Amino acid sequence: MKIILIILAIPALLLPAACVLYIFYQALPALNLSLILGSDIAVVGVNSIGQSILPQITGSLLMMGLACFFALPIALSIALFHAFWAKKRQKKLLMALLQMLQGIPPIVYGLCGLIVLVHTLQWGISLAAGAVILAIIILPLLSNSLIHAFARIPREQTDAALSLGLSKFRVLVRIWLPASWSNILTGLLLSMARALSETAPILFTATVFSGITWPDSIFSPVTSLQTHIFYLAQEGSNIQAIHTAWASAATLLLLVLCFSLAAWYLRRYNKT
Amino acid sequence: MFISRPSLFASVVWLGCLTAVFSIAVLLWFLWDNSWLFFQQFGIQTLWLDEWYPYEHLYGFLPAIAGTAWALWIALIIAIPCGLAAAIVSSEIVSSTWQAWIRLSMEVLAGIPSVVYGLIGLWLLLPTLQSQLNLLTGHSLLAAGLILSLMILPTIMLMAQDALQGVASEQREAAKLLGLNWNQQLWRILLPQAWSGIRSGILLAVGRGLGETMAVMLVVGSLDKMPEPFYNILEPAQTLTSRIGREMGEAAFGSLHFSALMACGLILAIVAVFFSLSAQKMRPTT
Repeated sequence: MKIILIILAIPALLLPAACVLYIFYQALPALNLSLILGSDIAVVGVNSIGQSILPQITGSLLMMGLACFFALPIALSIALFHAFWAKKRQKKLLMALLQMLQGIPPIVYGLCGLIVLVHTLQWGISLAAGAVILAIIILPLLSNSLIHAFARIPREQTDAALSLGLSKFRVLVRIWLPASWSNILTGLLLSMARALSETAPILFTATVFSGITWPDSIFSPVTSLQTHIFYLAQEGSNIQAIHTAWASAATLLLLVLCFSLAAWYLRRYNKT
Repeated sequence: MFISRPSLFASVVWLGCLTAVFSIAVLLWFLWDNSWLFFQQFGIQTLWLDEWYPYEHLYGFLPAIAGTAWALWIALIIAIPCGLAAAIVSSEIVSSTWQAWIRLSMEVLAGIPSVVYGLIGLWLLLPTLQSQLNLLTGHSLLAAGLILSLMILPTIMLMAQDALQGVASEQREAAKLLGLNWNQQLWRILLPQAWSGIRSGILLAVGRGLGETMAVMLVVGSLDKMPEPFYNILEPAQTLTSRIGREMGEAAFGSLHFSALMACGLILAIVAVFFSLSAQKMRPTT
């Protein structure tokens, strides 16, 4: 029985390393400094494949940062509502609601965003639309982790602080944030990794393939690493494009892993 | 003064919550409203018509629904035994150092963005399938299922491992005292005790697999046609997500085609939410 189990498990145990190694192996030919510091970054498009992907990296990070900037205060207020004001039934309802929102596939949020933000509000295909959609996608994840971070603080500390006459705001700033900053940071890092790896919802709402290097304002389209990979992957005949696609994939993977491994390290640090 | 004036802090928190509720309600209402327009015009029977030609106003959802179901089945058939076995091996057989490494590698696998999986599928899996099975291009439901199984493997494995670790040590000790051998311990004690956690992991994985877009879209071939015969998984097909992804760019805003895509999104959202809520409900209350 043990033998059968081990044989069954072998693919699951080997595949992660195999996937990561394969991506880097394929990316190797194109993975050099000119990828970042490429000379001609003025025109990014099919004609100049093989040039720098710095604009794409910036676009992805910019969108991720903006999404977190939008989502964090809202997630924080949801978590505070859960901790201070909600009754037992409301807490249950809130958790179910967050679970439901987390269950909705990202592409559906993309569709809704396309209608509401891009067409109805006339923002056009823009950085802002993509950031808001990503913010809504990471909102349930972020609120969940903030709620759990606050729930882990011992009840006695809060009670003692409140009975000393501290206001709720003071309790938050003086007791909760110092006690749970690392849990909050873990949640934030995981949400950042999530925002960085979503592709489908921003494909038609925020990004274009060519003609743009740096966004002029928050209402102009951007290029992003995720969608760049998608477009390049379909350039079947152009071998250079495929190399760049793999290199972009390796870069994206590295960025995502930076965030998620930092979160993993923090979680271990919390436990000990 | 004491009764009715909320502090500045409280009002800021309320404002944040209201923003969240308002924006999400607006998004969902637009989703509902647009797909309602579509269903009003074509009725619910479009769900089981099998022709999808947007330019001739033929909107049948059956090919995409069948494709989604097939891809998901293939993924589950591969990922459940693998993931469960990996969870059992990592939590019951190997040492705790190895266990931490296996967990970490699974989290890395879960962190790979879906478009990168699409790239792997397109440039590694499709040529392999094409040469091994003698297919035209390799675009097929089988490819979509294989890629999906890789993507839902971490969810199943991590949840199953958590569930196995959660089995009380008294139970294990009692089983050993009774003289049960390893197999009996596994089948009589561990798996039944951990089953609710494992099941909710599987349901979560189903929800995730349903909504996966980029990877599936790149390998499935996007051909709107029922598999012929129905168990033929080696031909290009279409799933709900890949249809939305492929046609969202070309559908004119406000047209029937666009509403039809919204209806796809609505169906997808309802089914995915059903699965993820039932996963939540069946999770053991600890």
